[in-house]
Amino acid sequence: MLSLAGAMTSCDLEAPSVSAMEEPNLFSVRDLAEGAVMGIHQSFGETNSYRGRFLPYYGINTDLEWINNIDPAKIADDGKYELCTYATRPTNSQMNTDNNAWAKFYEGIERANLCIRGLRTYADLTNPDFSQLLGEAITLRAVLYLDLVKGWGDVPGRFEPNSSETVYLPRMDRDSIYIRLLNDLKEASDMVSWPNGSTVTKSTERINKAFVKGLRARIALYAAGYSQRADGIRRSNSPELTVDKMYAIAKEECIDIINNSGCVLGNFIDNFKKLCQDNTTAGGESLWEVPFSAGRGRVLYTFGVKHKAKDQYTEQAQGGINGPLPYLFYDYDVEDVRRDITCVPYEWSSNLVNGKAKQEVRSLKSWCFGKLRYEWMNRIVTSTNDDGVNWQYMRLADVYLMAAEAINELESPAAAAPYLKPILERALPAAKVSAYMTKATANKEAFFNAIVEQRGFEFAGESLRKADLIRWNLLKTKMDEAKEKMKQLARREGAYADLPEKLYYKIDKDEETLLFYGLNHGETGNAPAGYESVTWINTEKLTDELINSLYQKNPDENQFWPIWQTFIDNSNGMLSND
Amino acid sequence: MKNMRNALLFILVATISLGISAQNVTVKGTVTDKTGETVIGASVVQKGNSGNGTITDIDGNFSLTVPANATLVFSYVGMTTQEVAVKGQKTLNVVLSDDAQALEEVVVIGYGAVKRKDLTGSVATVNSETLAAVPVASATEALTGKMAGVQITTTEGSPDAELKIRVRGGGSISQSNEPLFIVDGFPVESISDIPAADIEDMTVLKDASSTAIYGSRGANGVILVTTKSGKEGKISVNYNTYYSWKKIAKTLDVLSAADYATWQYELAQLKGSSYVASYEKFFGSYTDLDLYDNIATNDWQNLTFGRTGHTFNHSLNINGGSDKIKYAFSYNHMNDKAIMEGSSYKRDNFSLKLNTKPAKNVTLDFQARYSDTDINGGGANDVSSTYDSDKRLKYSVIYTPIPLANLDSSSGSADDDLGNLYHPLTSISDNDRMQERKTLNIAGGFGWEIFKNFKIKAEVGYDDYRNNDQRFWGLTTYYIKNVPSKDNQKKPAAQLANTNRHKFRSTNTVSYDFSKLFKGDSHHLNAMIGHEWVISKSTVQTNVIHGFPESFTASDAWKYSSQGKPFTIDNYINPDEKLLSYFGRVNYDFESKYLLSVTFRADGSSKFSSGNQWGYFPSAAVAWRVSSEPFMESAKNWLDDLKLRVSYGTAGNNNIPPGQMNLNYKSSATSWINGFDSYWSASKIMPNSDLKWETTITRNVGMDFTVLGGKLNGTVEAYLNTTKDLLIQFPVAGTGYDYQYRNMGKTQNKGIEASINWTILDKKNFGLSFSANIGFNKNEIKDLGIMNDFGEETYWASSEIGYDFWIAKGSSVGRMYGYRSAGRYEVSDFTGYDETTKSWKLKDGVVDGTAVLGKLRPGTMKLANVDGSADNKVTLADREIIGDANPVHTGGFSINARAYGFDLSANFNWSYGNDVYNANKMEFTNPGKYQYRNMIGEMAAGKRWNNLNADGTICNDPAQLAAMNANTTMWSPYVNSEKMIFSDWAVEDASFLRLNTLTLGYTLPKSLLSKAHIQNLRLYVTAYNVFCLTNYSGYDPEVSTIRRTNLTPGVDYSAYPKSRQFVVGLNLNF
Repeated sequence: MLSLAGAMTSCDLEAPSVSAMEEPNLFSVRDLAEGAVMGIHQSFGETNSYRGRFLPYYGINTDLEWINNIDPAKIADDGKYELCTYATRPTNSQMNTDNNAWAKFYEGIERANLCIRGLRTYADLTNPDFSQLLGEAITLRAVLYLDLVKGWGDVPGRFEPNSSETVYLPRMDRDSIYIRLLNDLKEASDMVSWPNGSTVTKSTERINKAFVKGLRARIALYAAGYSQRADGIRRSNSPELTVDKMYAIAKEECIDIINNSGCVLGNFIDNFKKLCQDNTTAGGESLWEVPFSAGRGRVLYTFGVKHKAKDQYTEQAQGGINGPLPYLFYDYDVEDVRRDITCVPYEWSSNLVNGKAKQEVRSLKSWCFGKLRYEWMNRIVTSTNDDGVNWQYMRLADVYLMAAEAINELESPAAAAPYLKPILERALPAAKVSAYMTKATANKEAFFNAIVEQRGFEFAGESLRKADLIRWNLLKTKMDEAKEKMKQLARREGAYADLPEKLYYKIDKDEETLLFYGLNHGETGNAPAGYESVTWINTEKLTDELINSLYQKNPDENQFWPIWQTFIDNSNGMLSND
Repeated sequence: MKNMRNALLFILVATISLGISAQNVTVKGTVTDKTGETVIGASVVQKGNSGNGTITDIDGNFSLTVPANATLVFSYVGMTTQEVAVKGQKTLNVVLSDDAQALEEVVVIGYGAVKRKDLTGSVATVNSETLAAVPVASATEALTGKMAGVQITTTEGSPDAELKIRVRGGGSISQSNEPLFIVDGFPVESISDIPAADIEDMTVLKDASSTAIYGSRGANGVILVTTKSGKEGKISVNYNTYYSWKKIAKTLDVLSAADYATWQYELAQLKGSSYVASYEKFFGSYTDLDLYDNIATNDWQNLTFGRTGHTFNHSLNINGGSDKIKYAFSYNHMNDKAIMEGSSYKRDNFSLKLNTKPAKNVTLDFQARYSDTDINGGGANDVSSTYDSDKRLKYSVIYTPIPLANLDSSSGSADDDLGNLYHPLTSISDNDRMQERKTLNIAGGFGWEIFKNFKIKAEVGYDDYRNNDQRFWGLTTYYIKNVPSKDNQKKPAAQLANTNRHKFRSTNTVSYDFSKLFKGDSHHLNAMIGHEWVISKSTVQTNVIHGFPESFTASDAWKYSSQGKPFTIDNYINPDEKLLSYFGRVNYDFESKYLLSVTFRADGSSKFSSGNQWGYFPSAAVAWRVSSEPFMESAKNWLDDLKLRVSYGTAGNNNIPPGQMNLNYKSSATSWINGFDSYWSASKIMPNSDLKWETTITRNVGMDFTVLGGKLNGTVEAYLNTTKDLLIQFPVAGTGYDYQYRNMGKTQNKGIEASINWTILDKKNFGLSFSANIGFNKNEIKDLGIMNDFGEETYWASSEIGYDFWIAKGSSVGRMYGYRSAGRYEVSDFTGYDETTKSWKLKDGVVDGTAVLGKLRPGTMKLANVDGSADNKVTLADREIIGDANPVHTGGFSINARAYGFDLSANFNWSYGNDVYNANKMEFTNPGKYQYRNMIGEMAAGKRWNNLNADGTICNDPAQLAAMNANTTMWSPYVNSEKMIFSDWAVEDASFLRLNTLTLGYTLPKSLLSKAHIQNLRLYVTAYNVFCLTNYSGYDPEVSTIRRTNLTPGVDYSAYPKSRQFVVGLNLNF
């Protein structure tokens, strides 16, 4: 019996994992490999990843956007207020958890790295189905890195699956990361199809060539732009990342998209309605959306029009957490179609009549963004925490404006004008477009200023502004400007002198829609009959204390969040915030 | 004992006669004990001819015919066996003495047994008598308070509550510190399904010299359970039964209806005008508040946990046999209707054990155990679920005490993250669960003494475990509102999980007693070597079904599962767990005076990659029986035995999930990605091919003594255990993975244990004995690898609190981390109220808690500025260690008394010096972000700070507010930041002394029973949890609710409350 036992050598101690799969099998079968690429998206959806932390908090505060209802008395909260007001501490209670966006972004990166290694090693890359998947994995990794760099500046660069040597890595210079991403995306753009070029790219939820190129253009602009570094705010010193080289990439990629992607600009409002309606047909304005299922993601939850109760449009009483700065609405041209879509002065009531809520006036200091609305959805949100609307990561208007910006810089305003004009044409009456274009094409600087302004009007509430202001080195400048504007607004001075103190409103015949008088410049006369009024603008409705809390510390010195303490502690001494 | 002994054998003596063989002399005599009492039923056998013997009659007399040169062996249970040479005498009067503290008693150790006097290691035993004295449901429960250094925590009051066993503290940080359970030689996962009535004895091996024979897995101690075997002799039938009634042991006072309504009004006023409008929808206007005076309220705690539970338990044990075959059969049935609505527990056990001796030198053993357990009801709390937010106990306290029309879960809070207000009974039926566990264990053994003193033994065993776990999520659960995809949201869901685990074991040992090598009796040497192979295979099939019709109840969903939409069907086959071992032991003693025991074990585990698979665990122990030394002769009259023991050794641990070496992809279901319902990904735990054994070095010194003629004996021990290469689930967030198992860090446990047994009185008709034990343990983390410290969250209040446990080098696991309470803000802390900003202005020099508490006003709870920051502000930096879940010492004592057929026993256990984290109290005194929650009496009107003027407005007049609160003692429940605040106020002393059981029994006189052929009949009544002396304000200080990790012990959050139980039962033997 003992001799029998002796025969059991240690090779008998092998115990392979049974319900687990190994790389060769996984990446040589398309459907399985696609499942592995979806594993990257799973990380996007994790509780404190994009889904509940990065999307709500990264893009604010700017000169357009803020977190609503800041209580200046509570602002030193080591929580969401500090996060948004450039005073973030590494111990931030919203972020300093080991399942935070930081960790889940790197989880997505590791999954992407594994997909890339697996597909390169085991897949038949001459088969377009597989090259599409490889291109997707490379592009999703670039998305994650771009957001890491936007959020934290220099971050560890993990471009291969972890090994025992690479578990702990120091920060990598953002220039090196940008160079890597630009090369990666160049490669990836040849791997994936144009929108509708394959079955997979019929959906805006999958990576297509237009998005890869658009993302490459965006990265090029960021790479060439200003940002805060150890020795101050400056552009990159890398000869590979000069303005010329980068803007040339942006120009080339954007023009390629505009000419060859088959995507077209539609009506401004249609893009957002389509988004709210889960319509992911490619070929429209949307280039790529984070594919949250209907039960995941806090998009409307954070950026939607506020519903105070479960009502006829939603069983989730959320929205209105972030909103436009109070002055933004008044800075749009009165006829700009983007104005009423972007800025909403109402919310949906908590009182229901026959189960239905109606619009109620909110307050000057807490407007809602209106691009995303429960009322536009064609399903009722039932989840208590997630609305499931996709996060639109890039749309065609961005490509046009990037092209315009790059060409203005490289060539001339005249050469750039054809890319700015289509954006204005769908927003303003023709006469106003001409006038605006005349002014904008006066010189390079005027055109640049027009780009700064139009990107604001176009993308408010889409979390692009902060990174734009940083790359232009205008963050503090524009935020100070915004504070000044808000102060003028509260006092009805300057550009806001022709606004009434009171806002007049009445409910429309449909018994839910509010009609207003007093929102437009010059509406200072008597309100039409049947309107009620509320004091809307004064220094109590928008206090200086609140305005001053737009930022707590100098935004230019705090362009990035610190790495959260838990990750510093876990980094084996490799990471610090010094 | 002795009165029973005398009475018990009366009938036997009268009826049994043993065969007598041819002889030369007829020896007659009387057997008595030291007190002169005759011993009835003592066995008198001719040495070397066990077929020739008799037993003493009712007067202690015997008569036996033997060869004139024979030697007679006199023996009796509990007494020292005596051999007397006949030498032709016709009369032999023998005085048997009580076993000197059962020194001859055989103690089961790993792969063998030794006499207690020959023990060299640290071993504690509980025998069947102790177990039989008090009816308990399971083996583990019976150990409570019985052994020094073995701390047993009943984590909750539910019938299937986990009993946490810690032997000498436990060395692991992140991994389980459960000891290794061995039942009749077979390693098992749990001993909770073994009825106490089936157990012969339980042994706990505490130091490495004892555990090293188990090598791996022995580091946290080993609990050996031996079940009852058949005994040679007449068939013996035991029938035991009891019936019990139980009620919740303690409930918490809640606010009266009027107080509740008033407080809700004040809360709404404090939160803002829109909340007042909401309030009025449910309660009407403030001026009508008097409507709520003296109206009837629902006592939800009573409605949820107030029913009288019943337990019925009966067991039948039959055993007997001859010298050729011995058998033991038992059946046990238990049915427990618990105190919580919908909660019940049922268990059936069968076991059969056969020991045969087909030839003189061969033994063949067989045994089978089967257990079937049904547990109904979800308990008060789920500890492991990710969606662990629908707590039943909590709702029974905070749910509105009066019916409020239209109140639904969304009222009062927009954010439903934690679940808000659900009808307590609905919440129970919506979180229903049914578990069925079946365990079958079969084992066979073959022993062969090939030549004298050379024995081989081969054992094989098979263990089959099936667990069928059915879970249901009804309409009010967080789960169905968030997890299913949109089409299936807000519809019931169910999970059906089947676990199948098979374990096969083969053990072969060879032992040899070298007695022939030595001349004379002075040297004893025996050796054993062995080999063992254990393989465990398991599969978990998890089916999750969403989208059932809304009308479905739990049983509908379980029965008609095809009515829902499948979400996951996951048949997960775990990697096999294999363990191959070689081991050996040598015991040597010289005149039983100098003892030496050396063991060695080599274990190979499939959990590590080749190169690291083998762990080697040597140990050695020496003992010195000081009392046998000539120089101790003078002490003989009072000192029966004194032994000193020293041991040193190592034990291992491979307690991590299998499959950690390589990167593998797992498929998982998802409802987060559009168009996909599953994905492949690497595990969230980073592989680590360098993993190796965790090693614990234990050092133990001990002293055993027996004095006063065996009446008092005891043990004192001290130990120092260090565990290195700790297998830690190490946080690596930021690398792409959440955790990685690593060998990292070092912990230390040191402590002292003592136990005594004292027979104070032992007369024929009455007796009194006392036993007690105490264990001190101090745990220290010596090293955490690359880290110095890290925090852990209990997450009971979602992410509102953040880290509330802190694990740091130089400290121990179980340190609670939070703010220091500084009472409350008084009116005098403010300069006054500013009408324009609508806020109270703090005086200079008063600590400013705004960052944590939000806007301050008089009555707000106050926190201390611990870090002494110059700005006097309370921030996250003002948290520190505020509590420790580790007791200074734990222990128990019991008193047993008997008189004229009556027996009385009382068992106490205690814990001293540990803290409990009273999360209940925090939640029951702070509305957080919610409205309409009730509170506990701690916050009753008159105690809590009052902000409400008589006219229903919030009082902001300093003088008036101060006057209104001149007699209140508590702060205002409302915290403006609307968060739960963990301060040392919620950390309470968890020390307790519990009279765990109190039993009064009566054994009927034999004379009454003989006609019915009944040997013994005892009737008894027992009370459980008779009282618990504690300063703890919550339900019960012995609690540990948040058990998702080992890092958060001692939290009381919505635990299933404990009950007080009253039992009547009988023991019948014929």
